[in-house]
Amino acid sequence: MRIRVSNIVYGIATLVLFSFSIQAVPWEQLPAEQLTKKLETKFSKGKYSKKGADSCLMCHKKNNTVMALFDGVHGQDSPANSPMAGLQCEACHGPQGKHNKGGKEPMIAFGKESKLDAASQNSTCLGCHNDPKQMAWHSSSHNLDEVACVDCHQIHTAKDPVMDKLSVNDTCTSCHLEAKAAMNKRSSHPMQWDQMTCIDCHNPHGSMGESALNQLTVNDTCYRCHAEKRGPFLWEHEPVVENCSTCHNPHGSINSTLLKSRAPLLCQQCHMDDGHASRVVPQDGQDAFGGGKSCLNCHSQIHGSNHPDGSKLQR
Amino acid sequence: MKYPLNLITLALITASGSMMPSSAPAADFSVNKANTNSVNMDKFQCKRCPDNTGYRGSVEPGVAYNDSDDIHSANAFNSEDGVHGLLNADLQYRGKTGYRAKAQATNLGLANSSAHLEAGKTGSYQAELDYRQLSQYQHDNAKSNLWYADGMLTPSDQVQTQELSLKRKQIGMGLSAGEQWGGQDYQIFARYSQEEKTGYQASSLVSPRPTNFGLPVDATTDKISSGLSIGGQQWLTSLNYQYSEYDNQIESLSLPYLSDVYAPAPDNSAYQLSLAGQYLFNRTAISAQLATGRMMQDEAVIQTSGNPIQNWDGQVDTTDGKLTITSVLDNRLRLGGSVSYSKRDNKSSTWEFAQLESDGISGAFKENVLLDTEQLNYKVNVSYRINSDYRLQAGFDREEMDRSHGAREQTDESTVWTKLDIRSFANSKLKLKASFSQRDGSQYQASGLTSSIENPLLRKFYLADRDRTAFEAKFNHAPVDWINVSLIGRYADDDYTDTTLGLTSSEDYSYNLNADMQFDKRLSGYAFAGQQWIESTQNGSQSFSTADWSANVEDEFINLGVGMNYSGLLQDKLSIGLDYLFANSSSDKQVVYIATHPQGDYYSYSHSAELYANYRVSELLDAKLGYLYERYYDTDNAQVDVNAIDGLTTLGKLNHNYNAHQVMLSFSYQLR
Repeated sequence: MRIRVSNIVYGIATLVLFSFSIQAVPWEQLPAEQLTKKLETKFSKGKYSKKGADSCLMCHKKNNTVMALFDGVHGQDSPANSPMAGLQCEACHGPQGKHNKGGKEPMIAFGKESKLDAASQNSTCLGCHNDPKQMAWHSSSHNLDEVACVDCHQIHTAKDPVMDKLSVNDTCTSCHLEAKAAMNKRSSHPMQWDQMTCIDCHNPHGSMGESALNQLTVNDTCYRCHAEKRGPFLWEHEPVVENCSTCHNPHGSINSTLLKSRAPLLCQQCHMDDGHASRVVPQDGQDAFGGGKSCLNCHSQIHGSNHPDGSKLQR
Repeated sequence: MKYPLNLITLALITASGSMMPSSAPAADFSVNKANTNSVNMDKFQCKRCPDNTGYRGSVEPGVAYNDSDDIHSANAFNSEDGVHGLLNADLQYRGKTGYRAKAQATNLGLANSSAHLEAGKTGSYQAELDYRQLSQYQHDNAKSNLWYADGMLTPSDQVQTQELSLKRKQIGMGLSAGEQWGGQDYQIFARYSQEEKTGYQASSLVSPRPTNFGLPVDATTDKISSGLSIGGQQWLTSLNYQYSEYDNQIESLSLPYLSDVYAPAPDNSAYQLSLAGQYLFNRTAISAQLATGRMMQDEAVIQTSGNPIQNWDGQVDTTDGKLTITSVLDNRLRLGGSVSYSKRDNKSSTWEFAQLESDGISGAFKENVLLDTEQLNYKVNVSYRINSDYRLQAGFDREEMDRSHGAREQTDESTVWTKLDIRSFANSKLKLKASFSQRDGSQYQASGLTSSIENPLLRKFYLADRDRTAFEAKFNHAPVDWINVSLIGRYADDDYTDTTLGLTSSEDYSYNLNADMQFDKRLSGYAFAGQQWIESTQNGSQSFSTADWSANVEDEFINLGVGMNYSGLLQDKLSIGLDYLFANSSSDKQVVYIATHPQGDYYSYSHSAELYANYRVSELLDAKLGYLYERYYDTDNAQVDVNAIDGLTTLGKLNHNYNAHQVMLSFSYQLR
């Protein structure tokens, strides 16, 4: 009997020590690859909780960030394909498994603290968000550069800042520092006051157009707000027809009107005839070639003219 | 001997295993892949979930007082000199069965404002209504003796001041609906918007001497867009249509002594129909889009002698298509590629029109030229993860452009690029990128239909042979929890290898440094600094031979900012903050012709500072007080007084030099 008791005590002690030994190597310290494998295994086993969100909130209810989920769209139980109408918290964070048994098992985590790579994190979001806005995501530069959805989006909040026109520019320019600076150049679109936003022209999820533009071409993008430049005009100006960004930098310029260079030098990078176009302008403000609107004093219809006598874009 | 070898082998395997991830692709945790065999969702509960149905949000009325003697400050202050009332609101209603509504107002009462209403059932249908006003202020002291009324620019005896500003007022409405049906997701939307754009902007006419004037703007643009999409788990397709119609209320402009001297932008319209699709096959994504469109313009053409038509049937057809494929072969290797095609086919009619030279007497007949372009792009890229810390990307891009009647009818540009991502430092990322591109093309024609006879040594900069070398480095580091630092450096060099006249070289280099700090729960701050330099050279020839003058332009931009916010005053009821921004754009131009001629000033700078305080009066009421200061200065030596140059009439010196102040007080009331 004594032997049996000692065996039981030894057995219990072994189990306790074993459990401590597991706690001594918590999953937070697992290398990313091992953690991913563990989560994949756990995901495939599908050991979901019995009571859904209530199982999670039993421990996490006091966490304000967790509870902020219910202020936003992902915390609603409708429509039918909402996470809260289905697997609830576990729809995104994976099956609970033994996570609630003293935190022994990891959950799928997102953001800065997550060791999962961007593609693994994004797979959760893309499972539901497969709509036309994300159609070009897979070939987008953000995906190729391993940007995670949660690098820009916040889910546990009443209002995702990137979905707010007054704060989306801040999110974009937290990485695109050069675009942030360009907003403050001598001429720029009114981005610095959030009157225009990056997503007015670009789709951060990628697009089938160039440079992730919402429209298929640069010019089509510009025409959305500058329809007067669309024409077609009776008399067209070649670089204007070809690409607005030949002469303009839409993100901002040291020169007025977003021009990459100023007249007359900008014009003289293409026009050098046996007439006045080749004329040197030693100093601005001295004659009609270098004063006022320079070349545009006469050729004011630089984007095209519809005057029958407008071949020189003067009328 | 065998034993130690095995140990070494084991050590190597362990080491390589810790350095290199397995070749398994990234995990797929999408909910549609979940193993729900053992789940009984009937027992899922959310008794602990808060009930967030009902109304919530805030309403914020306020008042702003501006002290400024230059209307340009209204761009930053969002209102002109004086006192202005404003309203911000963000109200939401959420019903228990998914019905919801939202009402938002942003700066209503100020120069740039918007309002948005939407209502519907989440995931089922939604209706929305929008209003938006945008204002842009150039100058309130342009000097002109030409006044517009009913198509006539009437000269007055004395020069009077005129405001150059543009205002856009937009209204929009939209409907969208979605439904799950047969395992597929159907979505449909339709949207209509109208914009009225009014104001005056600087322009110029030839009468026969060049005269700058305020061009009236009064135009309406209507836009319609609609779409249908159907999606399954592995595929998605959408059909979209968009239409835009521009209606300019300003007809041709005349002077009392010279009729139809200026043709404002003609009415026009355009539509585009596009079909797009995506298919996911294991770890391969294929996307394609095909679009066809048309731009039309049949505005009545000004009747002049030598004009054979009443209306011109301007029509440009566009065709665009793109196919992209990206495939994740394993966790290390990703391959991608795309082909895109874009065609602009000008199908307008051509006629011969009499062209008068600027003296109004001499001239000749000239036929309008129809410009077509056709562009083909293809790209391939590969991404290889060397180990968990290093990833290498490389790619090749090719762009081929054909254009009709251009000085160079075909150009092609090839680019090779590579990127290296390094994450080997603790809490830091380093991204390096290098690229080299070369533009070439068909034989350069000095004379084309669309231009007069050009100097044969000229190469237009957007058609010329060009070698472009570019480098970029991005570094992000979070040395400790409370600070995150980003640094980006860029360098690009354009060498126009076959250009004797025209733009010959351009160099663009910059850095941008940013630091975000969260010192503790209550105190946060940021600081940023950036500089950019653009240096270019070009040659010209007055003598229609070799270069006899040149110009060097050195642009420099500097941007500095700092700010902080502290929310720990008066038992955390009071938060205060400060933002400061400095920007300076300058351009130095030197023209070398016989002697070196430095140009006059061309620069602008601004200091913007904002101080604000937010006091929590009660749980539901906040009071906000803000002070905004702007110091703005710009100058351009080309800006001269109205008649300072013989033969030219300007709008005067349109420079700015002002100090402006704004005080704003508002009260924000929380509904819940």
